[in-house]
Amino acid sequence: MKIIATIKERWEVWVWQHTPHCTEILRFASQSLEHPLSFRTRLKIRLHFLICVWCERYVKQLRFLHQAGSHLDHQEDETLPGHGLSAEARARIVQNLKTADSKNL
Amino acid sequence: MLSPRCTLTLKDCFSGMSDHTFSVQLDGDLTPSQALPPEGVPKLPGLSDPERWVELHGDYLFKYALIRLRDPAKAEDAVQETFLAALKGGKSFAGRSAEKSWLVGVLKNKIYDYYRKASRETSFTDMEFYSDEESDRFVPDGLFKDGWIHELGPLEWSGPGASLDSEVFWKTFHDCSNKLPKNVAAVFNLREVDGVESKEICGLLNISESNLWVMLHRARMALRRCLETNWFGKDKEAE
Repeated sequence: MKIIATIKERWEVWVWQHTPHCTEILRFASQSLEHPLSFRTRLKIRLHFLICVWCERYVKQLRFLHQAGSHLDHQEDETLPGHGLSAEARARIVQNLKTADSKNL
Repeated sequence: MLSPRCTLTLKDCFSGMSDHTFSVQLDGDLTPSQALPPEGVPKLPGLSDPERWVELHGDYLFKYALIRLRDPAKAEDAVQETFLAALKGGKSFAGRSAEKSWLVGVLKNKIYDYYRKASRETSFTDMEFYSDEESDRFVPDGLFKDGWIHELGPLEWSGPGASLDSEVFWKTFHDCSNKLPKNVAAVFNLREVDGVESKEICGLLNISESNLWVMLHRARMALRRCLETNWFGKDKEAE
């Protein structure tokens, strides 16, 4: 058992030393949403995931946020936060529209 | 060729008749590929009465603008300008796609104009926000320097997909993005909500691509952490 533990530890250290550190992985995670990463980088990130569940989660969660954002653009009135136009603003806009419309005719 | 009323592209002219497909002959005549709508079918509605626009769409457009501009007065102006532009363009655009999404499109451009103007007055770049990049969550030195401190690493999120249907989730999402500084939030909304490509954002806001990436990275990081604390890390069973 002790031997297995030692091998596992050595493997983890080896991977750690041959892949970008977590803080860098997080930067790559964000950049991957802007442009495709090189094959080499993607491979290193995959390798890093073998020893780091936290970075793997982070990348998954960032992708989720990315998708959630696009949902937001198609949301209906009720789910957008905040109040609508104030009564004054509403009246003013209607008035200005009427004025502009009468000029158009 | 085309009838004089058709000053826009063919697609624009025909989209008012979206329920019926038309083919165009080279001499410009319009030939319905289907029979004309049977009698008794109401005419396709054009743009509704401008006064009713405010009634129908005013609140939505205002909220939409407020999220992006964070200033009620500016959001009101943007909404008014949108309606005025719609009034002017209304005749030529009559019936184009759904009225609401068309108005949203006009409003979006008004908002982008505002961003463009603001970026000329003061720089949009914000390198201060979240500049520590959660350094308190990473091992400060030793062999595993810059690795997650395990207890502080990201948690497993349960059922993230289902959250998209939850109103409370979206409220949390908005609360979190509202905590971002104004310019960072603008960049985040442009990229993640409106889906504008990063090169276009750089052009619009006059910021460098590397600065944009840093801002987006920190915005995403901050939002992820906020959602984990206020939504995914909470016991939703209790709600």
